Amino acid sequence: MISSVRISRSSSALVSAWLIAACLSGCVVSRSEPTLPPGAPPPGETPPGSTPPAPGPGEEQPPPSERPPAQGPRQFRLGPAATALVTQAHAQAGSGEFGQAAATLERALRIEPDNPLLWIELGRVRLGEGNAAQADAMGRKAVALATGDPSAQAAGWRLIADSLRGRGRDPEAAEAEQRAGALSPH
Amino acid sequence: MALYVLYLDLLVTHQFEGRRWTLPAQVYAAPLELYAGLALSPAELEGELQRLGYRRTTALDRPGTYRVQGERIDVALRPVRFADETRTATLLSVVAGPKGLESLRDGAGQEVPVLRLEPLLIGSIFPIHGEDRIVVTPEEVPALLPAALKAVEDRKFDSHHGVDPVAMLRALWVNVRARQIEQGGSTLTQQLVRSYFLSTRQTFTRKIREAIMAMALDAHFTKADLMNAYINEIFLGQDGDRAIHGFGLASQFYFGKPLAELDLSEVALLVAVVRGPSYYDPRRHAERSRARRDLVLKVMAEQGIVKAEDATAAARRPLGVTSRPAGAYYPAYLDFVRRTLRRDYHDQDLTEAGLKIYTSLDPRAQEQAEHALERELARLDRQHKRPEPLEGALVVTTPQSGDVIAIVGGRNVGYDGFDRALDAHRSMGSLVKPFIYLTALESGRYNAATVVQDAPIDVKLANGRHWQPENFTHEVYGPVPVVRALAESLNLATVGVGLDVGLPKVADTLQRFGLPQPPPQVPAMLLGAVEVTPLEAAQLFNGLASGGFRNPLRAVRAVISADGKPLKAFPLEVSQVASPEAVYQLDRMLVEVMERGTGRGARAVLPAGLTVAGKSGTSSDFRDSWFAGFSGSHLAVVWVGYDSDEPTGFTGSAGALPVWAHIMAGLNTSSWEAPMPEGLAEMHIEFPTGLRVAPGCSDDMVAVVVPGDASIPAKPGCSFPDNGNPVTTILNRAEQWLRGLAH
Repeated sequence: MISSVRISRSSSALVSAWLIAACLSGCVVSRSEPTLPPGAPPPGETPPGSTPPAPGPGEEQPPPSERPPAQGPRQFRLGPAATALVTQAHAQAGSGEFGQAAATLERALRIEPDNPLLWIELGRVRLGEGNAAQADAMGRKAVALATGDPSAQAAGWRLIADSLRGRGRDPEAAEAEQRAGALSPH
Repeated sequence: MALYVLYLDLLVTHQFEGRRWTLPAQVYAAPLELYAGLALSPAELEGELQRLGYRRTTALDRPGTYRVQGERIDVALRPVRFADETRTATLLSVVAGPKGLESLRDGAGQEVPVLRLEPLLIGSIFPIHGEDRIVVTPEEVPALLPAALKAVEDRKFDSHHGVDPVAMLRALWVNVRARQIEQGGSTLTQQLVRSYFLSTRQTFTRKIREAIMAMALDAHFTKADLMNAYINEIFLGQDGDRAIHGFGLASQFYFGKPLAELDLSEVALLVAVVRGPSYYDPRRHAERSRARRDLVLKVMAEQGIVKAEDATAAARRPLGVTSRPAGAYYPAYLDFVRRTLRRDYHDQDLTEAGLKIYTSLDPRAQEQAEHALERELARLDRQHKRPEPLEGALVVTTPQSGDVIAIVGGRNVGYDGFDRALDAHRSMGSLVKPFIYLTALESGRYNAATVVQDAPIDVKLANGRHWQPENFTHEVYGPVPVVRALAESLNLATVGVGLDVGLPKVADTLQRFGLPQPPPQVPAMLLGAVEVTPLEAAQLFNGLASGGFRNPLRAVRAVISADGKPLKAFPLEVSQVASPEAVYQLDRMLVEVMERGTGRGARAVLPAGLTVAGKSGTSSDFRDSWFAGFSGSHLAVVWVGYDSDEPTGFTGSAGALPVWAHIMAGLNTSSWEAPMPEGLAEMHIEFPTGLRVAPGCSDDMVAVVVPGDASIPAKPGCSFPDNGNPVTTILNRAEQWLRGLAH
């Protein structure tokens, strides 16, 4: 798998390295199972950037220019095309073909450019090839896109933590890890 | 004489033995990804297949064909090499409904989650002397072609020794009688020698030299070798600076498909063109070339190469040439590709080494953009009646990936000349304003509801002169909220904000977003006295469209060598250049530009309900008309002006905006609806005053997004059900929403 991830001495780093491996082998695919809090809309109805349902009864209809804030709980998942490409990218990254894996993930991103899960996947591949700076930037991009989805945001922060650790910036990494933990404890 | 013959013999064998055609790099557009859910109508899918030279049949008998069966389209896909994958010929069944693709299955009926069509060949990077070609192997040549060539050009090809004395004497007799050279009588071998070794000047000594060399070639090489060389060498058309050599490229050039797929009538047409690519140009002289094609067909039937009834049927077919030549379609885009690659490759690598270059060009978007620009410029020319025609340029990107999907460098799109998208450095005018307000938002001292003064400004410059900017209307608007100052592009209010946050800070923002040169730090910079090309403006706005992340805009995705090895990839890169919170607040104001500001004219053209964000730009004295704006999935920047830098007399809203709106309307694009970052709150303010109002409390209000802890003065007499804290408002709304779900 991803052998070139820098693993430092601390045990938390070992855990997170294991998480990377686990994630590359299927965390995204497993996300396609809806795991939603009760009362929330089904995931298929909250694609990235969608607005929540119309305001409740008794509230005035907003003027046409106004869009209600997209603050409802969300759960990102991948469509079938992106899922297939992510599976293919995992296989490519698994045999060390990071360039191919990245190209495959870019195909998926052209289909779902706003999906934070894909940015995290691409960041993981970049980290795998030793490009921690791009991994960090993609983690931040994912966190921004994942607003409203704590578990996707947490995954973004974990990517940022790993990329910081890869560059020896352990205190900042611990901070990022903490943010991830606060959003979604494992 | 004997020595001369020996010399020619050595020359011919040596050069021909070591022959290697220089292979210009071939450039491909982005492949179309097909998957269930893609918004592509059956007609559009068929259009894409036809663009790739696929032919509709009932039999689906070979790669490069498709058949339509109700809602299902079966496609026999050709083998294809992508930058990262090679695929053999395969069958695909697509069910396409009115809402888009419903399912994809392979030949065995298995579901296919995603599959890309082959990329369209959009051109090649040919050398200065202009020879462009696609080399084909004998296996890629339809058997009809050599047979037809022999029948028409050289019937004794298989038996003669390089020359055909009878034919030569006959030609000589005709020429002597006419006192000039009219008839060739050359064998295919002689034609090959002429094209390969000699100039085209016709003299008798050259004729002799040609004959000796042809005999030498014939003595040393097999007929099959010579035929293959002929098929790859011969000149078959001219396209501007580009000389079309070989039947492989000619097939793409005239029919937009591989040589192997040509039918009888198409082969006959190419053979007809051999005799005079300019005289028998099927695009310019359709009747003439048709007559010669039919003659070729008749000869083929007489010689027993095809059945007479097949020849007759083929003669009934239309010429079948594409309306535009394949390749060199998109000079401005190829220009950008060439410049990208020049950093890593020598010219010779590009023009000779047979590289394959995969780009992000979206042919549909490119064509939309070209049409929109041409149509709107023609309309503006009619309105304004100046002796000089208006010019324009534009760039379209997909912001999250940083892919440049279309570039138009001028209204004469086929002309490989001045590329305004890359080379026209023009004042950006009010396009600079979003970056001033972004700087202000980042300072923490401003938000969308902050009231700023639109008041006369007098700045004493270093040279002792005074700078006194004015509003476009020459009026002064007094206190206005930031959202209105931006929406209405008020100069005085903006300059006030810019001076307050500081020129160096604004300059820094521009550079973070990708301005290549530091802007001049003079107050006039705040009104856009900064020169940018349309491509640079696209880079700047791309960062706003992708939430404060900068992607280096790219046209090239990957380069592979002639034998399929990956040479270079240009991977997706991002870097965060501004806080997502500040960019979101700004983008929401850019949405208001479109709703009620200088961009509202686009409404009439855009699909109903499409949320877009943008900014007009007008430089001083109306010399430049700009519009830059984005949806959820596309960004377009349009410039309109005169090459002479004469004033146009119109604003960005009047010139560039209609072009922009037509491009956006033509793309299959989605609404801008980025998620609101945490810590921000949406509230309503009165558009003229900036005072906070409750819904229903004012008839001129606008929704803005401000930091959650911002305190905005309320309009007197306006009652707020929740004591007015915007965060409480949102919590209440969320609660009501959840309650609504529980019912």
